Amino acid sequence: MVPPSPPARSAAGAPAPGGEEGAAPSVRPSRWAVLTWLGRVFHGLTLAVTIGVVGLVAAFAYFLFAGAWQSIAYFGLGFLTSDTWDGVHNIYGAGPAIAGTLITSALALVIAVPIALGVAIFLSELAPAFLRRPLIYVVDLSAAVPSVVYGFWAYIVLVPLMRMSIEPALSSFAGGHSPIGQPGTGYDIFTATIVLAVMIIPTIAAISREALRAVPRIQREAALGLGATRWESTRLGVLRSARSGIAAAVILGLGRALGETIAVTMVIGNIYILPGTLFSAGSTLASWIVDNFTEATPGIQRSAVIELAVILLAITVAVNVIARLLLRRMAEREAGGSSTRRRLRTTHAHTGLASGTGTGPVDPAAPGVGNREAVASRFAARLRTRQAVQWTFVVVASLCVVAAIAPFASVLYTAAQYGGSEVIRPSFYTAVAPLGCNPAPGVTCQAGGIGPYLQGSLIMLGLAALISVPVGLLGGIYLSEYGRNRFGRAVSFLADVMTGVPTVILAVFVFALFLYFDHFAALSAISGGFALGVLMLPITIRSSEEAFRSVSPALRESALALGFPKHRVTVRIVLGSSRSAVVTGLLLAASRAAGDTATVLLCAGGSTLWFQGLNTPTGSIPVFIYDNFGSNYANLQAAAWGAALVLLAIMLAIGLGARLAVRSKYDPTQAV
Amino acid sequence: MPQVKMETKGLNAWYGRRQALFDVSLDVPDGEVTAIIGPSGCGKTTFLRCLNRMHEETPGARTEGTILLDGENLGRQNVVQVRCRVGMVFQKPTPFPHMSIYDNVAAGLRLLGVRGRGELDRGVVEALQLAGLWDEVEENIDAAGTSLSGGQQQRLCIARALAVRPEVLLMDEPCSSLDPIATDKIEKLVQGLKRRVTIVIVTHNLAQATRVSDATAFFYLGKLVEVGSTHQMFESPREKLTENYVTGRFG
Repeated sequence: MVPPSPPARSAAGAPAPGGEEGAAPSVRPSRWAVLTWLGRVFHGLTLAVTIGVVGLVAAFAYFLFAGAWQSIAYFGLGFLTSDTWDGVHNIYGAGPAIAGTLITSALALVIAVPIALGVAIFLSELAPAFLRRPLIYVVDLSAAVPSVVYGFWAYIVLVPLMRMSIEPALSSFAGGHSPIGQPGTGYDIFTATIVLAVMIIPTIAAISREALRAVPRIQREAALGLGATRWESTRLGVLRSARSGIAAAVILGLGRALGETIAVTMVIGNIYILPGTLFSAGSTLASWIVDNFTEATPGIQRSAVIELAVILLAITVAVNVIARLLLRRMAEREAGGSSTRRRLRTTHAHTGLASGTGTGPVDPAAPGVGNREAVASRFAARLRTRQAVQWTFVVVASLCVVAAIAPFASVLYTAAQYGGSEVIRPSFYTAVAPLGCNPAPGVTCQAGGIGPYLQGSLIMLGLAALISVPVGLLGGIYLSEYGRNRFGRAVSFLADVMTGVPTVILAVFVFALFLYFDHFAALSAISGGFALGVLMLPITIRSSEEAFRSVSPALRESALALGFPKHRVTVRIVLGSSRSAVVTGLLLAASRAAGDTATVLLCAGGSTLWFQGLNTPTGSIPVFIYDNFGSNYANLQAAAWGAALVLLAIMLAIGLGARLAVRSKYDPTQAV
Repeated sequence: MPQVKMETKGLNAWYGRRQALFDVSLDVPDGEVTAIIGPSGCGKTTFLRCLNRMHEETPGARTEGTILLDGENLGRQNVVQVRCRVGMVFQKPTPFPHMSIYDNVAAGLRLLGVRGRGELDRGVVEALQLAGLWDEVEENIDAAGTSLSGGQQQRLCIARALAVRPEVLLMDEPCSSLDPIATDKIEKLVQGLKRRVTIVIVTHNLAQATRVSDATAFFYLGKLVEVGSTHQMFESPREKLTENYVTGRFG
């Protein structure tokens, strides 16, 4: 039993109950013991959770390799290059999928990087104040648009555009020669590339912008103070300092392109051949997994699909590791070689400038850059060119912004156009999906709604939150407060890598896990919810770790100095003062989960019915869109667009909420 | 009396809605060091930043009134040209990271279009000598600018500003982040430089103002209270407010 203890803390100098006037407040020894014990329990709990997360990642690797082992053992290295996918004779290879993945991602990167950099620079260096915030919001939001919505948009808008105008034009321009080729159906490598570029531009732009913003303002002013134009100050003072952050942004964009699943699946044509030209259909690792995983017969065929997932995992992890190494090398690199020094010595000798003059007078006649008149005339001659460069810079950066925002605007417009009339109907949220029907004379189409899918999404998101929020918070606390050691850094790194793992691989893992433990629940709400939880987990851990770390050490120390035990400092001070940042991280993780299709498609399957139980297949909004995007029935397509609009509204609300939550208390950008 | 190099007439400045400077009219004598003193938040730095139009880089900031450089209105000139003629050294050293010492000093010259190696080398060496840094960095001119000590970095920034031969050099509390020895070097440097370049220096440190400056201006709550020769300002100020400040009764 713990005896009731006197207040542990009271204002210094105030009399403690039962104590002498002016004496320090007394604390019974038993209370110290309890506090110490509580502290240990808390520490142990966070550590246990963190170890659990590592265990999950280990299980992730184990189940993927175990699932793929049959195929690895049977086909060997030939699997990587073989271009066969023959379900009749059970001969499988990954060649076309690997080629498709690498080609689409590389081309998308080539298109996206210059535009994204232009956007980032415009937002950080050029945008007038009234445009900056709305534009940043739009870019962040377009990074959050779910893959399935981009895919739907591409299916409706981009594919016809490609087929009718862009591909014929490009093809005739190139004379029909490879690698461009004859114009195709619009479902091809090129369209997939453009969709990927559209999707990674906001990602790269948003992260690069943060890298640019992180460069202190004084750095820009130092260049401006030398007489640099905006462009010159960006080049001299900002870009060089931000380049490691920009490199990280580009590589993260590459990672996203490599693993992008649903949108690519919807437009790439999904033919398993080595792509001969830009306008031929193909497939990527991710798209082929989604298309074949659920139907694959258990045995060597399923094993081969899982091996595709292992290959994709290997590529994305490799990209992440390369990124880290690159960043480290950049940080270590020192400026320049030794050539300048030698050259200067000779200059020095020739000009006869006496060394050791220090602050003393310098001969005004000594050769130098020239007198002020010379500087002025030189200046006048160069000014015109420099200003032309400056204007070109402004124009190009603005065009990049237009290019980056146009697809997002088109997505919103298309969704509102087709789904607008759906979402304003209350029954849209409560009714089951309509029977497919096209309006015709004498035919009245049933309207219907997405009620069961909305319900399924909410249930699975709830399950996901149940897993990822407590684990994420406790893991974040461990990493930030206790884990400042090799283990903690390794877990942090691991979580970063897991954030970059394509969700389709997570889905394959969760499916295999449930298959192993409970065969019947592999396609169920609980499996889907668990997959979404696994998807959210690395994001919640890392974002809460970052939020906790951003609490100033002085605040921690002042609480410790008041006599707070460490675990109380953590719960009261650290958690309390980083509340809004933590909530923001959780919300962003939830918004990613809400729009993710691959996980719920592979793990929860689909169902048109209202919720039937945790271990039965369950529908969700993204799956509803994916199932109906190509529907021939007008009312089903409209309902799918309505569902897309609902997803967009959720992203918008979460994005706006996160922004307000962060800004309401304290906005560091307002500090002078 | 020396000639007037820079002159402000009825200068007002705002950050958003907050007015930071009220109707400041001040002459900066040519070839001298003018110190600007005053308690925190009195507009010293804002005033300095107006002199090379750096103030307008702050989001939401604006100014009214005229600033003349050699009798020409700054507001009508190209802002890039203004900053070539009026250089600036900041409170904290700001060498460009990822640039060597050499490249830091050469940065301004390259902006001006100086390309020839010989010319660049001469300009860099001369600027480093003027800043009293050449002897210390001659052997490792290719090391990163950020590898130097704080005081050396600040002198590197002075060299970088001097390399483009400005007519006026603005210094915003250049010693506030430095130790006494580094501070001493910068102060000596300031006195040595005034023959070549007019200097306006903002300082918190009254003793520093008496050591380095010829003229002193006292700002309080965004207004110019008094300006005069440094000797007069510290020995026999005309205003009671100035007397209270320079004798350490407040601020």
